[in-house]
Amino acid sequence: MKSASRDVLVIGSGISGISSALELAKAGITVHLVEKEVAVGGHSASFCCKATDVCVRCSACVVPEKIREAVLHPEIRLHTSSTVRKLAGKGGDFRVEIVHQPGPVDPEKCIACGLCTEVCPVDPKAIHAPPVEATPFTYVLDQGLCLRFKGEKCVLCRESCPTTAVEFERKAKAVELSVGAIIVATGFDVVDARERGSLGYGRYPNVMTGLDLERLFAREGRLILPCNGQPPRSVAFIQCVGSRDRRHGYCSHVCCKYAMKFGGLLKYQNPDTQVTIFYIDLQTAGKGFARFYEEYKDSIRFVRGVPVEISEAASGELEVKFEDISLTRVSRDRFDLVVLSVGIAPRKDAWDLAKVLGINMADDGFFAAAESNGSNEASVKGIFLAGTCQGPRDIPDAVDHGMAAASEVLQLLDRVGARPAGSWGY
Amino acid sequence: MSMKGTIVAFCCQHSGYPAADLAGKLGLGSPEALRIIRVPCAGRVDVIHMLRAFEKGASAVAVLGCEEGACHHITGNTRAKERVEQCSMLLKEIGIDGRRVVMFRLSPNAPRKFVDVTNEIEMAAESQGRQDDNR
Amino acid sequence: MEVRAGVFLCNCGGALKNIDFDAVASEMAGIPGVASVHVSSDLCLAPARDRMISCIREENLNRVVVAACSPELTEYPLRRTVQSAGLNGHMLSMANIREQCSWAHEGDVTGKAVELVKMAISRARLLQPVEEVEVGVERSVLVVGGGFAAVNVGLLLAAAGLRITLVESTGTSGSDGQELGSIHGFDIGSLVTAAERDQNIEVLTSARVVTVEGAIGDFTVTISREGKNMARKYGAIVLATGSRIELALATDSDSSAEYQGIGGTNVVSQDQLVERLSRPASGVKPATLAFMVDFADESTRFSTLATLGNALAVRKVWDSEVYVFCRDVKVDSQGAERLYREARDRGVVFVKCPAAPRITSDNGRVMVEAKDVLLGEDITVACDLLVAEAVLYPDPATAALGSVLGVRLDEKGFYQENNVHLYPVASERKGVFFVGTCRGQSDVGRVMNDISSVVINIKDLLSSGKIMVESERVKVDSEKCVACLTCIRVCPHAAIELRGTEGGKEKAVVSDLGCHACGICVAICPAKAIEFQDYRDDQILAQIEAVG
Repeated sequence: MKSASRDVLVIGSGISGISSALELAKAGITVHLVEKEVAVGGHSASFCCKATDVCVRCSACVVPEKIREAVLHPEIRLHTSSTVRKLAGKGGDFRVEIVHQPGPVDPEKCIACGLCTEVCPVDPKAIHAPPVEATPFTYVLDQGLCLRFKGEKCVLCRESCPTTAVEFERKAKAVELSVGAIIVATGFDVVDARERGSLGYGRYPNVMTGLDLERLFAREGRLILPCNGQPPRSVAFIQCVGSRDRRHGYCSHVCCKYAMKFGGLLKYQNPDTQVTIFYIDLQTAGKGFARFYEEYKDSIRFVRGVPVEISEAASGELEVKFEDISLTRVSRDRFDLVVLSVGIAPRKDAWDLAKVLGINMADDGFFAAAESNGSNEASVKGIFLAGTCQGPRDIPDAVDHGMAAASEVLQLLDRVGARPAGSWGY
Repeated sequence: MSMKGTIVAFCCQHSGYPAADLAGKLGLGSPEALRIIRVPCAGRVDVIHMLRAFEKGASAVAVLGCEEGACHHITGNTRAKERVEQCSMLLKEIGIDGRRVVMFRLSPNAPRKFVDVTNEIEMAAESQGRQDDNR
Repeated sequence: MEVRAGVFLCNCGGALKNIDFDAVASEMAGIPGVASVHVSSDLCLAPARDRMISCIREENLNRVVVAACSPELTEYPLRRTVQSAGLNGHMLSMANIREQCSWAHEGDVTGKAVELVKMAISRARLLQPVEEVEVGVERSVLVVGGGFAAVNVGLLLAAAGLRITLVESTGTSGSDGQELGSIHGFDIGSLVTAAERDQNIEVLTSARVVTVEGAIGDFTVTISREGKNMARKYGAIVLATGSRIELALATDSDSSAEYQGIGGTNVVSQDQLVERLSRPASGVKPATLAFMVDFADESTRFSTLATLGNALAVRKVWDSEVYVFCRDVKVDSQGAERLYREARDRGVVFVKCPAAPRITSDNGRVMVEAKDVLLGEDITVACDLLVAEAVLYPDPATAALGSVLGVRLDEKGFYQENNVHLYPVASERKGVFFVGTCRGQSDVGRVMNDISSVVINIKDLLSSGKIMVESERVKVDSEKCVACLTCIRVCPHAAIELRGTEGGKEKAVVSDLGCHACGICVAICPAKAIEFQDYRDDQILAQIEAVG
């Protein structure tokens, strides 16, 4: 029996959700791409290029292209500022209720002219351009800064808008969708670096996370210290912050690679900068990464040993206390800047979505695939998992995973084919 | 024929062109003398295109393509580099400073690099002096 | 035919204040070929687009020039708008006066805006229509390889109604599956049987792909089998040729001779270990066992995963002392870290070494000597059984097959995916895909995703039996072509072939289906015989002419 609807719901518009959506759209399926934020693209849309004089395959530049493709595809219906509230039915015949909570600026009307920002009376501006990679490029109103939302009578931005895109009171709207299958591609949260309180994130301005570094490079193109606007003389990367520990018993896949790529980029931009990487096991598997290590092992200091504490030295530098395993002793080194290579963790709101959809979560907090035979189906038939919401992966793996989930959805909708036979232990 | 001080930049749609857009969105300043011509790949740009720009009085010509190893068409940016070098030699033969034609490689999400590179080209062109009318 | 261009300027809500739109409009009006000039404030929104459609019809425009924001997001919808007005979508030329003009500079930029629009108009005059046509595609797929990935892909695609040919160079299918099966518990035998029985699948063993011509949807493949050649047509080709596993026995150049002197039953592969574990009663139980991993090959994951799984099995079945010698423990796979912890909890000792251990033999036992990073000293372990490191190499046929198909290899000789990060299973030639270990992918989870990904990629292309394609967007003028073969050799996507023409001579022909519209062939043709609509030489030169 064919499914009641051939439409598909994809929850989450990061690189994995977009990959799923595009493959299904190309098969002629109408895809409802639901995104919680105002802009699509997820985390990876804000990553920076890490090329030195050659491309290092960080995949950051691919994301905007895929986003553009998805946004322009006629079979993909975008629902931004929307979440899934209710689910009924079963695989092949789901009825989903989406709640669309529009923000003050309507993405279908905003032409990004910037006239609203010009007239906004507060500083910093309450209404302003979104991050440069945002698609759609819709202006955002920060309710925390806006006078109107603090009870005052300011309507300057609304008056100045040539397309009447600004409206302060917008009601949430419920949208009912009938879909044959669902793909969950809600992505990840970075581990909160404050979990390792002794590493000083939030206390010392020169301790930042890998994600902070991505955004800094994306904006500035080079690394400058937030405190004095100068390039750092010495940088330390601390691996496995929030990975392979008691709370997160897995490897996050991406951190050793991004630390090495950033390390290489820093050396390329400032050959005098000293770069140190503190690690447990260097994850150099995958194409080309082992070569990376060979290339950098003489210019970057790799120290096997995980730091336990960061404090501020009298000089203002950061002092890192660590166990140097190869010397079997505890040491202290000083750095201008420390980057915590934070891992990929399940989203804090994953539990809420799990309840709505009725899907199980695994012990590590990610969504659980029902079988261990390679299928990406969740514990509810007709719901499939794509991307980091199921477990850590890098961008190429997330694209592959998204396409694989779409493939299983297509099989379900066509009611043909079965999973390859066999299962394995892990 | 006017000596405009124009910089003609052939920007590939996978690298230079989107980087220029991002630079504009960020409000970063690039040279006003820049005239961007969009191409599907840096490998589409031919020496004759570069030379025609100089004939028209451009003070510099740039080809902006993808980072080495990242060309969507694999060899496009390499071929463009070779052609830029060929053009440079031809310019020298006719008495124009060969450094006025350059190739730069960047990724589409590198607006700062776009701005740095184009400003550098403008400054270099100014220091090389005004182009002699050599036709 | 007289050029009648409509110029549509957008002032972005009136916000592009450093451009004097009235001045721009009046300059445009005087240009030959410009039939009308319109100023709008929001061309990205529907009402303005509807007005554009009316203008095109009422004013009998045959070219549309739009000066507004970046074409990156607007060119595609504007082409559709132009089409709704009855014009071919390629009769559109755009000028970026927002991101690359008004937003990019301080001060008045009216002069620059005027030039940019003039450049777009000059190009517009030379635009020609490009038609989109529907072409039929072969609903058949050639899968090269007979192992786990190949058979799975074949079964899944056959279930979707496509006709599959599985070409395997050896006498039987499923050969690599034996090894994978024992490591991962898959039953490759039953998969092969299913494939052989499937009506939509033809299994050709002891067969080779000799030549491949044509393009996606329409490949002509010559397969050689038992001395005979057969020509077949396929819509897509999947390479799933697998890889070869070799034991890295020479872990250290000094000790290679001694290592080879040990042999017999003391040094085994993972496969052989699993075989012995399956019959624990026979033979002597090794009191001490060592695994080597991550020295000769740091880039594949399967040997670490196999080691972790088998180390646990050894502890359970034989209760031997187990040592794992490695550089780093590679755990970036699903479930790997959990396995690693379980192994340590069950007493497996992991020795991390900065360099490969020295292997010697002493009295029938294998001596493994290494620097233990955690202890900070050299240690020597006497083992009864050593499981040597397994290294993944490309299958020997990979390079030759790659060159027959016109696809590239990476630095290790595995197939190189399309720019690595664009599409994990696609090659740079449309319609040719790689799955599994032949592209270096070595853990089962990732291979399974490859299989599913390629299935949907191919279903997207072939299920409906038709593809929309731009007809003759890039075209070789056969009168000018001298058949020098330069374009054929240079095309990165293997989209150009030599074909006989009406005149009898063979000339280069660009496949509409396979072309990626990059223009590399256009620039390199010594006879300037190739025309690339929208980016023709005259169209590019016209833009340059309009500067200044």
